[in-house]
Amino acid sequence: MAIVKEAYRALEAVVGAGYLSDDPAVCEGYRSGPGGYENGLGYERVMTRIPGAVILPRSTEEVQKIVKICLRYKVPYVPYSTGFYGPRSHPHIEGALLVDLKRLNDFEFDEKHWYANVGSGFIYAQFQEECLKRGGYGVIGGGGAQASVIANLIGDGWSPLSHRIGLPHRRILGTEMVLPDGEILRTGSLAVGDDPFWGDGIGPDLRGLLRGYTGLRGCLGIVTKMAVKVLPFQPERLEPTGISPDTALALPEKRVKWINYIMPSKETQVRAMYEIGKAEIGGAVTKVPLFWRAIAKAECKEEFWDLWLKETPETVANFHIVRVLLIGFTNEEQLEYDEKVLSDIMQELGGSPRRTKPSDESWIKNADSAGMWLMCGSYVSVDYVIETLGQATEHGQVYADLKKKYTPPLMPDHGDPGWFQSFELGYQGYSEFLIYWDQDENTDGVDHFYLETSKMNINHRFYTSLLGPHQPMYLTGPKYGPNYHEWMLKIKNEFDPMWLCHPPVPFAHDEFVRRAPWMHKLADWESPREFPYPQWLKEKMDAEAAAFHVKK
Amino acid sequence: MPTTKFSLDPSDINNFTYDMSRCIKCKGCYWVEHTYQPGARFATRCPSNVWNDFDAYGAFGKMRIGLALAEGRLEWTPKLLEIIYADPLCGACDVGCKRNLDLEVELSLESLRVKAVKDGAGPMPVHKKIAQNIATKHNVYGAPHGNRKQWATGDLKIEEKADLLYFVGCTASYGNKEIAQSTAKILNATGTPFMLMPEEWCCGNTLQSVGMLDEARALAKRNIEMVKSTGAKRVLLSCAEGYRMWKVEYPKLLNIATADLGFEVVHLVEFADEALQKGSLRPAKPVNKRVTYHDSCSISRLADPWTPYSGERGWMGTVNPRLKRRRGTQGLYAQPRNVINAIPGIDFVEMIRTRENAFCCGAGRGTKEAFPTLASSSAKHRLEEVKEIGAEVLVSACPWCKNNFASAAAGDNVKVMDFSELILASLDA
Repeated sequence: MAIVKEAYRALEAVVGAGYLSDDPAVCEGYRSGPGGYENGLGYERVMTRIPGAVILPRSTEEVQKIVKICLRYKVPYVPYSTGFYGPRSHPHIEGALLVDLKRLNDFEFDEKHWYANVGSGFIYAQFQEECLKRGGYGVIGGGGAQASVIANLIGDGWSPLSHRIGLPHRRILGTEMVLPDGEILRTGSLAVGDDPFWGDGIGPDLRGLLRGYTGLRGCLGIVTKMAVKVLPFQPERLEPTGISPDTALALPEKRVKWINYIMPSKETQVRAMYEIGKAEIGGAVTKVPLFWRAIAKAECKEEFWDLWLKETPETVANFHIVRVLLIGFTNEEQLEYDEKVLSDIMQELGGSPRRTKPSDESWIKNADSAGMWLMCGSYVSVDYVIETLGQATEHGQVYADLKKKYTPPLMPDHGDPGWFQSFELGYQGYSEFLIYWDQDENTDGVDHFYLETSKMNINHRFYTSLLGPHQPMYLTGPKYGPNYHEWMLKIKNEFDPMWLCHPPVPFAHDEFVRRAPWMHKLADWESPREFPYPQWLKEKMDAEAAAFHVKK
Repeated sequence: MPTTKFSLDPSDINNFTYDMSRCIKCKGCYWVEHTYQPGARFATRCPSNVWNDFDAYGAFGKMRIGLALAEGRLEWTPKLLEIIYADPLCGACDVGCKRNLDLEVELSLESLRVKAVKDGAGPMPVHKKIAQNIATKHNVYGAPHGNRKQWATGDLKIEEKADLLYFVGCTASYGNKEIAQSTAKILNATGTPFMLMPEEWCCGNTLQSVGMLDEARALAKRNIEMVKSTGAKRVLLSCAEGYRMWKVEYPKLLNIATADLGFEVVHLVEFADEALQKGSLRPAKPVNKRVTYHDSCSISRLADPWTPYSGERGWMGTVNPRLKRRRGTQGLYAQPRNVINAIPGIDFVEMIRTRENAFCCGAGRGTKEAFPTLASSSAKHRLEEVKEIGAEVLVSACPWCKNNFASAAAGDNVKVMDFSELILASLDA
């Protein structure tokens, strides 16, 4: 469904005819699924729509004009940077305008104060290379090297490098954001000047509004620019080698080195992570799921399964790896010192080093997130928890236990308890649970598992990051806060009273459960008969729900 | 577990609906691979999506559009044809995807064009004219067939019979005669006897590329039979597009393996590298220039040999029998660099985007004829990179690249040369 002609003409006047289209083929190119992050699941099938039109602004000023036109003509819109974040970053309503931000790809590096200003279309691999050229670095979030820096920092923004560099809100120094009323909001010290040295800013820290735990998911405006802190790395070049797919960064061994240790038990694995943090050494400290090793070894999907199906619950349960990245930030002696300290820790805990390649395939300039689709064709990280290292291992095990009930359709993983790692020198433990399936099979069980994880987290009192727009707000909200959902609603109504920015987020998962009959049996929480939308959206949502049921 | 039969045959779009449905929009097809990612500038490798920023013009958009076409959800329109055909099918997306996902992106894109032709919507009008030229005059330009060998001047030693057959191709025969002549002189200089095809016809690159597979197949059969009738053991090409046709597309069109052609297919860059190793090529004359090399797509990431495949896809998308994926790893990356570096006086400098990450010139596979602005803007974009590294000479190994770069470089201080011309310049007269 196209957007109204008057609005189209006004938008065209902003960007020119070449950067606006409602052509069906062009719009089809922006379909969310069926492949991709969380795609092929019920949420994608039920909740996503191809856009009514797509617009490609070049500047914050153009974005501001677009938002004002949308407000004037009541056109719902969705900000979109790379589209990699699956259905959550695509329109959920017919006739929406997709605001593709890829042309906002400016990059400025402040050599004196070591931060970089990036636009929404600028990706991590570009950012990291520009930093590395100058002897600096940042984090390439798990979203991958091709993810938009801004989009990923709003939503996630962490990786094993967060062991030293820390969480994303420490690196977001300033943000420029076009609010749903068309006004520009600047956060941090950008609110009072043009020097983004201070992320908190005066008054309430608006980064909490911007990203909370895992972000606003495009429903409170459009971020057009961000000042990102750059940290000192080391000066030697990491040399790219090989022909794709066998490429890697050759490491200057006296300055950068990965070492894998096999630990005798889970307890010593966690202990080692604590001790490494306590000693304040290392650039990254992580445990990886065993099947990642099979992905890395396999030449193709079929070989992965040959390797993986040879594993057993016992081999998985007894796989206690600690992967450590050492960096001689200041000089070679620092790496020597860190290695000696690491060796002492490992000796004490019974860790034995394994031969590790003098190269980096993942995390310094890459997060091979796309490789996660190799095995089954479909994937989503169902949860991220940032708590303590001890809690991370408990959390993973509880997930693994729940997962058994839903395998199949989930990939047989021999009870793998996921991925965990040290953040902020061991002060925090990060755990992430990843699931895989084949989207050609009946995926109702995957939808159920996804929702059941919320209940599991509530029951076990795990503070999950995906409590917000990724899960039914009326399920998670009362349990976290206890009025988290009400605050989300208040914020949404305050900033976007018309609900034009990415409707019906943040209540989209509630809407999904309402529409999808196979989800009804799980809906045992209190939920209003009608969601608190403005009238136009309520009518639209009802019509789309009815249309979905007719189609079914 | 139910299985689905499929083959790597682009004549049926349904062979690739699995691949289309598994595209995850990571855009590894669009960006230069992260390991080699150069930063703020020269970060992309997709000429189509640089020419037009809408997602529909990137492989990730076309995978979605392809699925809609396969499922009958989208009608053919002029815009849709533009999306499908404004694309040099350079293979950057294919190797990008095979970094992690192993989806058959290149074949999927080819299958869209075949479907366009089958449905009566494609190819573009100018492609139909080229097809007519090929049918009537045996060359893409509609030039008199009798003029095809005019490049072969009397000073060149060309045998009636030899193990090596030089297939010149339409462009070097009619337009860029200097490439044909340089190639012949190099063969003469290395003491390599060679012959020409008695009646050389077009290789069919445009036909195959725009989805006219029946016409391309007829040419493939005819040309292969001609080579076999001459008894040649090797077919040499100085055109990258021609090389890909002979080495990859002919076997694909005829459902045979490259190894089963009955003769070897080599490009001049391979031949020259071999000759250099053997000592028969002796580049002694200094070329005192700062030179860079452009990896033409059809001798690099598109050049892995072809092996037919048909099998079944089953649980978790695994295939049986095991499939050896073509990932562009067997491209002619080292050979041209070996030769250029052996030329005295040359200050060789690499482009920022090289080998499988190279940015296509934008001319090939029917693009320049139908979408000249895409071809010229791509070439200009690449020339910016040449200027960035301060090269004086841009060398490529395909007449399509040379012509496209040369027209885009008009007025610049960059000299555009074919690989054959550079070698010849280094040989004593």
